[in-house]
Amino acid sequence: MKKNSSRSQKIGSSLGALSGSFSVYIHIPFCLRKCPYCSFFSVPSTPGESEKYLDLLKEEILFYRAFLGKGSEASTMYFGGGTPTMLTPDQWEDLLSFLGENIPISPSAEITVEANPESFTKRHADAWRKGRISRVSIGVQSFFDRDLLWLGRPHDASKACDAVRTAVREGFSVSADLMFGLGGQTLRSWASSVETALELGVEHISLYQLSIDEGCRWNSSPPSGRADGYSFYRWSQWYLPRKGFSQYEIASFSLPGRHSRHNTAYWRRDPVLGLGAGAWGFLGERRYRNEESLEGYASSVRTCGGSVAEIESVSGEKAAREAAVLLLRTKWGISFGDFSNRYGQAILGSIRDTLRREAPDDCFYESRDGLSLTPKGMRVANALWSLII
Amino acid sequence: MEQQYIRNFCIIAHIDHGKSTLADRLLESTSTIGLRDMKQQILDSLDLERERGITIKLVPVKMNYTAKDGREYVLNLIDTPGHVDFGYEVSRSLAACEGALLVVDATQGVEAQTLANAYMAVDQGLEIIPVINKIDLPSSRPDYVIREIEDVVGLDCDHVILASAKEGRGIGDILERVVEKVPAPVGDREAPLQAMIFDSVYDNYKGVICYIRVINGRIRPGQTIRFMATGGVFPVEEVGVFRPGFQPCDELAAGEVGYVVSNIKTVAEAHTGDTITDNGRPAASPLPGYRKVKPVVFCGFYPVERDEYPQLRDALEKLTLNDSSINFEPETSVALGFGFRCGFLGLLHMDVSKERLRREFGVELVATAPNVVYEVVSKDGEVIEAHRPSDFPEIGDIQEVREPVIKISLFVPTEYVGKVMKLCQDKRGTYVSMDYLAPDRVRLVYELPLAEFIIDFHDKLKSQTRGYASLDYEFIGLKAADLVRVDVLVSGEAADAFSFICHRDSAYHRGQAAVRKLKELIPSQLFEVPIQASIGKKVIVRQNVKALRKDVLAKCYGGDISRKRKLLEKQKEGKKRMKQIGRVSIPQEAFLAFLQVEEDEEK
Repeated sequence: MKKNSSRSQKIGSSLGALSGSFSVYIHIPFCLRKCPYCSFFSVPSTPGESEKYLDLLKEEILFYRAFLGKGSEASTMYFGGGTPTMLTPDQWEDLLSFLGENIPISPSAEITVEANPESFTKRHADAWRKGRISRVSIGVQSFFDRDLLWLGRPHDASKACDAVRTAVREGFSVSADLMFGLGGQTLRSWASSVETALELGVEHISLYQLSIDEGCRWNSSPPSGRADGYSFYRWSQWYLPRKGFSQYEIASFSLPGRHSRHNTAYWRRDPVLGLGAGAWGFLGERRYRNEESLEGYASSVRTCGGSVAEIESVSGEKAAREAAVLLLRTKWGISFGDFSNRYGQAILGSIRDTLRREAPDDCFYESRDGLSLTPKGMRVANALWSLII
Repeated sequence: MEQQYIRNFCIIAHIDHGKSTLADRLLESTSTIGLRDMKQQILDSLDLERERGITIKLVPVKMNYTAKDGREYVLNLIDTPGHVDFGYEVSRSLAACEGALLVVDATQGVEAQTLANAYMAVDQGLEIIPVINKIDLPSSRPDYVIREIEDVVGLDCDHVILASAKEGRGIGDILERVVEKVPAPVGDREAPLQAMIFDSVYDNYKGVICYIRVINGRIRPGQTIRFMATGGVFPVEEVGVFRPGFQPCDELAAGEVGYVVSNIKTVAEAHTGDTITDNGRPAASPLPGYRKVKPVVFCGFYPVERDEYPQLRDALEKLTLNDSSINFEPETSVALGFGFRCGFLGLLHMDVSKERLRREFGVELVATAPNVVYEVVSKDGEVIEAHRPSDFPEIGDIQEVREPVIKISLFVPTEYVGKVMKLCQDKRGTYVSMDYLAPDRVRLVYELPLAEFIIDFHDKLKSQTRGYASLDYEFIGLKAADLVRVDVLVSGEAADAFSFICHRDSAYHRGQAAVRKLKELIPSQLFEVPIQASIGKKVIVRQNVKALRKDVLAKCYGGDISRKRKLLEKQKEGKKRMKQIGRVSIPQEAFLAFLQVEEDEEK
């Protein structure tokens, strides 16, 4: 705990050193049950457990409030999980008003909640609107029952439609998560899921290929028949721009002005205050993770206010290369001026040389001011990044 | 023991014709070894030999036998290695004997190798006693086999022994016949010492133990001896006989078979076939027939884990303590790192050595495809010994390429003659002769490039004749051939690890196979990668590895960032370990798979 305490102090003072705006990530670790491909921290929720968790979260918020300098305020906020909709609407009202009272939030802040179709209700929407939530990101994954069953998701296609429809009707800017590369999935069914999402009025789509990482149930026994992702991704890159959704990041498409400002903060390595068990944050060139068990989080928060379990300092060339990779996720890419101001001219030169030498010309655009990936470059981004990391 | 009561003999037999079982029975019935101590087939002492049913190392044994004439005899059985790779060793074993049992399977008839060894024994003037074994089997055809022995080997079979080693039948007859027929040795025990080494082994405690047959004179501890071929001089520490373990004795005199220990450190100092003489009173000349065996088949041995190079070196050194016919020298491969180029007497010798390294020394290794040594004559008359494709000069500078050629005898049931002839022709064989051994068996003789033989000849022969063919070969020298070096270019740059030598006529097919294989093995890159096979500057085959289509797994938020960075860093590290040819990264595994690939271009 002593170590947690000094680590939390360190992160707190990094927060204190900020003068401008920052982002806040809050982890709600409860799930109905864990999906077989998920490697995030989550636990089944039991009554009373979430109540206790919210109390701890408040304590953690108070701990960091004490560090906050004058003039710094949250410009984006994101509630992720887990399944944030496992909290009741009443709990939400309580949590959001507490946050509003204790953390300065910019009037134009983007505040997003992740919602899962099986637990999202209109009453959640009411509570969120009251608490200044502007954006809802729904874990749809697919509009086909077959796919959802295969993935072991606790919702079906009609629940997914209802959830998106409700969120749109209640006035939120809605994003849908969709997954490809599933067993038995066809390009036709994928196209149909994407089209359905657009018809229902989403303004943002996050699409990603099923990946089976360490720490998930499928890691030891991966399912067979997973489709190769190329055609799905390629088709999406062709189709979505025609519907006005531009690809502003490897996995993200949105209508103009509807990109996720919170996620963009990650890719620009802007400061993020992470709160809650298992949450990640990034402050003062330090990436940190909170305790990943409810018990660990509880005892740490009770004894020292914060719960930082692990800090990784990323600096120098490592930071610069990480930044280049992250920036190249986005359509804005690397701005030469900004980049060399923050990370230095030399490393920028080396990265540009490597790409010119080793990457095909049609994988990136290079202008006088900056460098970014083409749609083709985005498809083979891993290979490009591994050149410059 | 007086020479007139000594009989030195060996057994000539084909694999599986029951040599080891027969030897076991002989030991049993002369009570040389108690039944209780009897491990099955005691003479094949290496595990590996027992498993494969073949004998590589000779283990001689001395038996005492009281014959029907009431006298006690000493019978020395000298086993012979049962594989074509060891022709010279067989000849030395035969030279240590006055007689041989020719054991033929009553169901199979004479096989190629048996015949070759039988001829060798006849040439060396040995008394040959034919034995038809396995007469207990219902499918046995002794009459037929007797006729074959008479026709093919040219032996008089009036007194052939019908035996079943398995059931112990005919064993008594064999022992009697050996006493009766095999001539007693006739050396001069008072002449200067001449003892022939017919094998040597390394022992951790005693050093090198030479197995000898004393031809003339005597050898005893305390004597100073000289090895006439190598010139080494050593004091004799111990002499003894095989019971079948080592049993020291006072002396070995002309006619006797035994061993000598004399403080020799490596078997390379005690060549098979060398003559041991007394240093103070040397013989006028060495015994005839000595030659130094030269490896003919080469391959690279590399440790699977790169840092196990020293272990591999130690293991090879230990292996060669026991087998001086293996040679090895350090070699570096772009793909495999540090390893050794090793020479062997043949393919089986190579396989067995590899297996022994694994089993006896616990070394996991990668073996590259075997190759032969070529002689290249350049335009200015220089002769180059080319061990690997990179030793070849540019095609324009080559006057002539010579390759090792073997003469191969194949015993084939008539129904498979067509297939075997086709196989030999496909392998660039030159027909020499064909004759009928029996109405349904043919002996085919071809001259064949050794390089073609070592690729997959055995496997193909086996599968095309369902295992009914047998073969023997001898090395006959170097012959000029239209051979070319085929280079493989990856993205326009030559990758010398992939070059190979082949006949001009098969260059296209082999090039095609190599390019196709590489196309499968080289992962997609950011660029399309052309893979070409060429002879000199002329490209003969081309295929492309398509450019990478997709290599990205989407989402990356919060904590994913560190994980993702580490993953990329790992990829970058992995790429550093890959071999770069131009902009193309080729993983180690691709090299391994390519170098180990059995030539399967015709499939």
